[in-house]
Amino acid sequence: MKKALALILALVMVLALAACGSSAPAANNDAPAADSGKTVKIGVLVSDVSGEEALGFRAYYENYIAKNYNVEFTYTEQLEDAAAEKAAIEKFAAQGYDAILSLAASDRTTQIETCEANGLYYAVVSGMLDDAQFEQFKSNEHFVGQIGPSMDTEFEAGYAMGKYFADQGAKTVGIYGAFIPNPMHVYRTAGVLAGLGCTYGGASDKDGIAGQLFGDQGVDMSKVQCGDTQIIGYFQGFGDTTFDELFAIIGQQPDAFLSVGMATTFFADSLNGANIPYSDIDSFTSGNAANMADGTLVYLAGKYSSSIGPIFAATLNAVNGNPIRDAQGNALSISQGYLVATDSETFDNIFNGDKGDSPIFSKDLLDTVIGAVSYDDFVSLVESK
Amino acid sequence: MDNEAILRKYKRRQRLIDILPVVALAALFAILVATVQSKGYRLDMYLKIVFNEGVVLAVVATGAVFIYTLGSFDISLGASTLFSATLGVMTYNATQSLPLMILVIFGVAVGCSLLSSVLASVFHIPVFVTTVAMMSVLSAIAAQIITTNGGAVGGISIPSALVKPLDNMGFKIAVLAVFWLICFFVFDFTKIGRKQKFLGGNPVCAQLTGIQVNKYAIIAFVMAGIGVGLGAFLTLVYTPSVTATTAGSIGMNIVVAIVFGGMPISGGPRSRIYSALVGGFSYILLNNILKLLIDSNIGYGVSQIVSAVFFLAVVYVTGLNYRSQMLPR
Repeated sequence: MKKALALILALVMVLALAACGSSAPAANNDAPAADSGKTVKIGVLVSDVSGEEALGFRAYYENYIAKNYNVEFTYTEQLEDAAAEKAAIEKFAAQGYDAILSLAASDRTTQIETCEANGLYYAVVSGMLDDAQFEQFKSNEHFVGQIGPSMDTEFEAGYAMGKYFADQGAKTVGIYGAFIPNPMHVYRTAGVLAGLGCTYGGASDKDGIAGQLFGDQGVDMSKVQCGDTQIIGYFQGFGDTTFDELFAIIGQQPDAFLSVGMATTFFADSLNGANIPYSDIDSFTSGNAANMADGTLVYLAGKYSSSIGPIFAATLNAVNGNPIRDAQGNALSISQGYLVATDSETFDNIFNGDKGDSPIFSKDLLDTVIGAVSYDDFVSLVESK
Repeated sequence: MDNEAILRKYKRRQRLIDILPVVALAALFAILVATVQSKGYRLDMYLKIVFNEGVVLAVVATGAVFIYTLGSFDISLGASTLFSATLGVMTYNATQSLPLMILVIFGVAVGCSLLSSVLASVFHIPVFVTTVAMMSVLSAIAAQIITTNGGAVGGISIPSALVKPLDNMGFKIAVLAVFWLICFFVFDFTKIGRKQKFLGGNPVCAQLTGIQVNKYAIIAFVMAGIGVGLGAFLTLVYTPSVTATTAGSIGMNIVVAIVFGGMPISGGPRSRIYSALVGGFSYILLNNILKLLIDSNIGYGVSQIVSAVFFLAVVYVTGLNYRSQMLPR
């Protein structure tokens, strides 16, 4: 009897869920018209909730943009996989949101398709779709676009960093590959190898090196051939042996330690203590500022918090009926480079110039591209910084 | 207190505790509906989301009940789901054959499950230990395959159009209902379920009566493997891509679901096949209610903390059922 009752109740519950949810969701047709005065609601998908870069982005949107525009941002919790991303978008749609800004990248194809199915506008906040994905969605009216470092830009950032130390005459370096096979870190590491004048498995070009790094899941030192600058140690990831690997490199007193991400967060104390100059590709944050001023950080290629301002402007325009498309009607795709600092003064100029109420992409600047604006004018603004 | 009074009191309490998970599910369902409506959100969409979030967990956990009934603990089910889905996607991309993809998903899922069981039998080590090892190995291999083949995208996928026709409530309900009814029949109306409960409750006594431990362990792992295969397929139906983090939370969520459903983790005669279904959806409903009620801006993890407190409370309440002067019945 108990079993039967439990069974019936459980099945009724499940079927009730199903029955209530079986009707196809209609597209969000109550998007605010231009100047309607209605608050634009934007959901933000995030996969990193605690990194300095992520916190900087969030502070810019919530503390600056939300105060200067009639817009409300809601952040998701840390999204672990594609299913969580899709469910988050569907929940935003159920709550009547107008657009999605994505900082999560488990499955951007599904993200865009889910936004389209639910009538939401969608934009990639930082980073890029791969070429095939962009071709697939560039004409989709719900896809606003993407502004961020492309994989070419990631490679170039790594290349510039490697070349900087090669030009400085570094004879021995250690390299930290961060979280390879994360594609961003793969391309940065490929760039570092090329910039140092090294070949990998005989390849010296972006695709040749990166393709092998994906296959090897890291740098196989037996495949590295260098010229004047020798790589005396390489490691990646973060685990029980990470500091053993770091100290093995520090013990050889390299001329520099090159990291493609998270160096200050993980290794600043150790590198400062051993007085080994280091570099990183990260963000203009207070932690990096302190280490460039008082530590041994000598090169930083970084994003800045308000770099995500233009994609907000483009999304707001789309919601308000002023989508920005190129001459062929395609979505925005603008590669945004890194700013580089090799001394404290340059760092502080960038860092302090992008804080609080006076970010680089300020309201005054964004207002020039909010409303009916041409594709070329928008691109000019983004590329001006 | 005479024996009859003790028995009456025991039965009353057991009835109450048995029905509590279903009542809790109904209450959570009502709270979700009230919360969504009070906020002016789309109820139909929310219920569909909850169902989609819960169906994979419910299916995998229902299969896992057979393992948990034996008093075993399989932590590798999430990794098995990931591994099965990964090889399924690789198979489709190599052959363009949906039936072959489905076959591979189920074959791999059952194979992984059986391997855990056989390793435990051959080496006479606790199943939990072999599943921990399996979890590490399967996750690592899947991650290697995904990142090597995913390249700059970071994941592998099948064309969404391939499974889109199946991404509807009717199909998922049918899958859940058929699998659940089969499990219900095997668990409650055949000697397999009865003997597994006996083995979970008192393995020494069960063996002395002639019950073959390995045989029923293998059956339990096969049922769990089928659940994993279905879960992997439903995962692909919902999102036709696989990354290294896909299904990462399923392993632990199964434990939570089974506990929420009122079944003791120690297995035995109080194991209930409906626990996974009831507990799985209760857990998903609770999570969604908390996320609706707790402002995301007050800090990450608050809903998880509340959920953990709720979990402990449920364990305590269901634990009341075990502290009895009576043998389980």
